[in-house]
Amino acid sequence: MSAIKTYFYNIYHSLLTVIVGMRITIKHIFTRSATIQYPTVKMKIPERGRNRLFVNIDDCIGCDQCAIACPVDCITIETIKSTPDMDLGITSKKTKKRLYIPCFDIDIAKCCYCGLCVWPCPTECIVMTDVYEFAEYDRQNLIYSFSNMTTEEITAAQDRLEKYNEEQAAKKAAATVAVKESPASSTSASPVTPPPIKPAPPTVEPNQG
Amino acid sequence: MEFIQTLLANQVLVSILLSALPLVFIVLMVLVVLYTEMKVAAHIQDRVAYMRTGWHGVLQPIADMLKLLQKEDIIPTKSDKLLFRTAPFIAFTGTYVAYAVLPFSSIYIGSNINLGAFFLVAAGSFVVIGILMAGWASNNKWSLIGGIRSASQMISYEIPTALAVIIVVMITGSLNLQDVTKFQDGGMGNWIVFGGPLPWMQKLMLMPFTLVTFFILFVASIAEVNRTPFDFPEAESELVQGFNTEYSGMRFAMFYLSEYANLFTVSAVVVSLFLGGWSSPFGTFMSGPLWGIFWFVVKAYMFMLIQIWIRWTLPRLRVDQLMFVSWKVLTPWLFVCILGVGLILVL
Amino acid sequence: MELYTIIFYFFTVITLGSTCIVVFSRNIVRAAFALLFAFFGVAGIYIFLLADFIAVTQLLIYVGGIMVLILFSVMLTSHQINVDAKTGVIQTLPAILISACIGGGLVWVFWITDWKVNSQLPIVETTAPKIGEMLLTKYLLPFEVASVILLVALIGAAMIARREKKV
Repeated sequence: MSAIKTYFYNIYHSLLTVIVGMRITIKHIFTRSATIQYPTVKMKIPERGRNRLFVNIDDCIGCDQCAIACPVDCITIETIKSTPDMDLGITSKKTKKRLYIPCFDIDIAKCCYCGLCVWPCPTECIVMTDVYEFAEYDRQNLIYSFSNMTTEEITAAQDRLEKYNEEQAAKKAAATVAVKESPASSTSASPVTPPPIKPAPPTVEPNQG
Repeated sequence: MEFIQTLLANQVLVSILLSALPLVFIVLMVLVVLYTEMKVAAHIQDRVAYMRTGWHGVLQPIADMLKLLQKEDIIPTKSDKLLFRTAPFIAFTGTYVAYAVLPFSSIYIGSNINLGAFFLVAAGSFVVIGILMAGWASNNKWSLIGGIRSASQMISYEIPTALAVIIVVMITGSLNLQDVTKFQDGGMGNWIVFGGPLPWMQKLMLMPFTLVTFFILFVASIAEVNRTPFDFPEAESELVQGFNTEYSGMRFAMFYLSEYANLFTVSAVVVSLFLGGWSSPFGTFMSGPLWGIFWFVVKAYMFMLIQIWIRWTLPRLRVDQLMFVSWKVLTPWLFVCILGVGLILVL
Repeated sequence: MELYTIIFYFFTVITLGSTCIVVFSRNIVRAAFALLFAFFGVAGIYIFLLADFIAVTQLLIYVGGIMVLILFSVMLTSHQINVDAKTGVIQTLPAILISACIGGGLVWVFWITDWKVNSQLPIVETTAPKIGEMLLTKYLLPFEVASVILLVALIGAAMIARREKKV
């Protein structure tokens, strides 16, 4: 008896559930769609949304903290020390700039939009903007260069630094006859940040502090 | 027909031309149904589907078709190449022959044979062979399982379909679909789903049986065209794409076309057996040969809409449930209906 | 050329060609599929013999039912798929004798039959009502016996396939 009961109950129940399901779906046909027509209609980006990085290079002091913080090493910064006679101006936070920044590259293709580079910046010059449409046909175009120094300026800065270093070395040599203090000063003419992925070369650049 | 015959003066050419006529209909109909299916599916899921090609994306099915035509025809190296190439054509032939007996209007029917309803049931079996052949020739486990599932499913559901057809034949006394439709002519009340044009006492007694039969035929027809909740042959989550996993380009398009053409066929069968075919639901109002085509297509389209609606509502059954539904629910209930209808008609 | 003649020869070619494949093919699945076309061609020829009911039944039962069963059994017995069907000659003399007997019988039947040309036959609208009447009046007993046998086979198959409960 119970088997027959289950049989009829199953038929009744399956019909009922089908009708319930179909009522739900037909209701959804007439509700407003949740999607928007993206390229023509755009969603509002949250105020603190993390998208494309932007660097206000005028405020950058070349401290390299953002590059250190970056978990995927997508930021490459090169710096050249300025000589005491040069004045590089001050940032908007009233910090004195001491380093030339010949290279400030962000490989946005590697960027994971974590925003970790934004927090350590002492001058708040690296920020995340609300731009999210920056597809490119060539991957090379995704490496953004923020440095505004021309090649001439870079070589000039390097030359000045070299000259200054030599002068200092000569002074020191004059003062302390025997020992040379900074053996690496000559190589500092081309200061290079260690390559991001490979382990750093054994000789540490003195001007990287 | 005589007009074209005198125009071309060649019997062979005329017959080829006339038999190609439903093909044009199928292609147009498939475009419309594809569009409807995508739109309904999207709106059920609170999306909007195509919007960019033409007004609300109406040109998208054409774009899809052009894309399919351009695609490379890939044939697996280790497949049985001859069978692999033939299978889509057999599947499509199976669906196409069914169009020969569909009564589109009181003046247009491909072949007014006296066994129309029976022939329709038989023609469906050809699709099974095509699918089985595709599944085996692909030399792929999923394809083979899909093909075998399809065959067992379609064979099982052919029995409820045939029994439901028998009930209609018992009432109308003819297997000719044109006669069946004429029998129901003259308004909604005369449709077989509401008991047919019989004395009202008999009609009232018949109505529960015909309603159940109608419903069962509808369920069986969904299973016959392998659509969700009975889409076992191409269960994406289990079998990749089932029997058409290895197919691409035009050969895949043939299966696709066959699937949607079949969808129309089963809807048309339900319509012409139970819902008056080409006859107008308002008696003599809006009836005539041309209105006939209109009503026939509109009724079938309504059915396709319901099938699409069901497809995007219900999940897939289990294989054992599939067999349970066919053999232990639909078939016995139809036997009861046959008994009931027979008794009422005799008494 | 008359259209019907073309169609007739079309069906003949299909039937003969696919039966040849059935006999000579080494691939058993291909042979099974060729058998399908043979059935289909025979169904076409039935229509030319004005036996429309038989033709459609042939499609439904042989193509839709029996063919699928044959294909099932061929595909599901995995050893059979890759084994070449033997087509060599094993026993020449008995084979020749049996073939000659069957062939002779067919030719004899062919000669003694009083062939009626299409135009001599009365045009029958459909054979289905006649067949139905005959089955339920004149041939009721064979019909019932056949159905009882089928029922017995059905119950037997169900019994064999049935899962044993509680051992």
